[in-house]
Amino acid sequence: MNFSRIDSGEETIIRIEGVLDAVTTPDIRPEIDSLVAQKRRDIIVDVSSLRLIDSSGVGVIVSLFKRSKAYGGSVRVSGLKDQPLTIFRLLRLDKVFKLA
Amino acid sequence: MLGALAILPNPQVQYSARGTTHVIRLEVPSLFEYRDLAMRMVASACRLVDVRKTDGPRPKRDGQFTAQVMSAFGEAFNNVVLHSYGAEGGHLQIEVELAKDALTIRIMDFGKTFDIHSVPTPNLDDLPESGLGIFIIRSCMDIVTYSPGTPNVMSMTKYIGNQ
Repeated sequence: MNFSRIDSGEETIIRIEGVLDAVTTPDIRPEIDSLVAQKRRDIIVDVSSLRLIDSSGVGVIVSLFKRSKAYGGSVRVSGLKDQPLTIFRLLRLDKVFKLA
Repeated sequence: MLGALAILPNPQVQYSARGTTHVIRLEVPSLFEYRDLAMRMVASACRLVDVRKTDGPRPKRDGQFTAQVMSAFGEAFNNVVLHSYGAEGGHLQIEVELAKDALTIRIMDFGKTFDIHSVPTPNLDDLPESGLGIFIIRSCMDIVTYSPGTPNVMSMTKYIGNQ
C-alpha cells in the first residue's frame, strides 16, 4: 500500500493505492490522525488505485469520517470501483460518504 | 524461509454428486505476511471458475463473484491470525474446492475456537469501525459454517451465478 497527501487551501486529497487491510492499516493510521489533529475541513479520499480493502481498512476511513465530522469537517470518497465498491455498498457506506 | 510455506502436492481430483471437483490446498504460517499469498491463490481459483464452466455460454462477469469471495476470505484469514492463534502463532490450511456450480473455501486451524453464532450482527447505521468481519463473510457467501475441533474448520461456499 502506498499513500500520498496533497493539501490545497482547506482541501486535502489523500490518495491510497494497492491494498488497505489488516497488514497495511497501521502504516496509514498516523497520517489519518494527523489530518484530524490539523482539523482539515475538506478531505477527499482518492481510492481510484485501491485494489483491495478489508474491514480494518474500512474502519480507518470511517474513523476519519466520524472524527472530522465532530469538528465540522467533511470526507468524500472518490474513485470507488471493483472490490472496494462491493464492500462500501455492502456496508451501506456509499450512502454515508459523498462520492466525489 | 525453508519449511515455512508448504504448497501441498498436485491439486486433487475428487468425485461428488455435483460431478468432478478440483481441490487446491495451501498451508501457510498464521502470519499476516502470508495473507497476500493466500489471497492470490483464492483470486486465481476464482478465475478458474470461468475456465471450468465449459458447457454452454460463459456468463459475462462484472467481477462481483471474485470481489465477494476475496472479501469473505480476507476476513476469515484475519480472524484466524488475530483471534485463533494470537501471538503464539501456528499454521492454517486452506482448501479451495472448485465444482461446476460452486466454489468452496475451507480454512482450518488448530488454535482457539469461537462461537460463530455469538457474533452479533452490526448495526450499520452506527457506522461501526470494527466487528464487521463475520458480517462481511456471511453477506458475501451463500453458505458459511464453522465446526470447532482439531482442526477448527470454517467453510464458505458461493454458488456460481449468485451475485
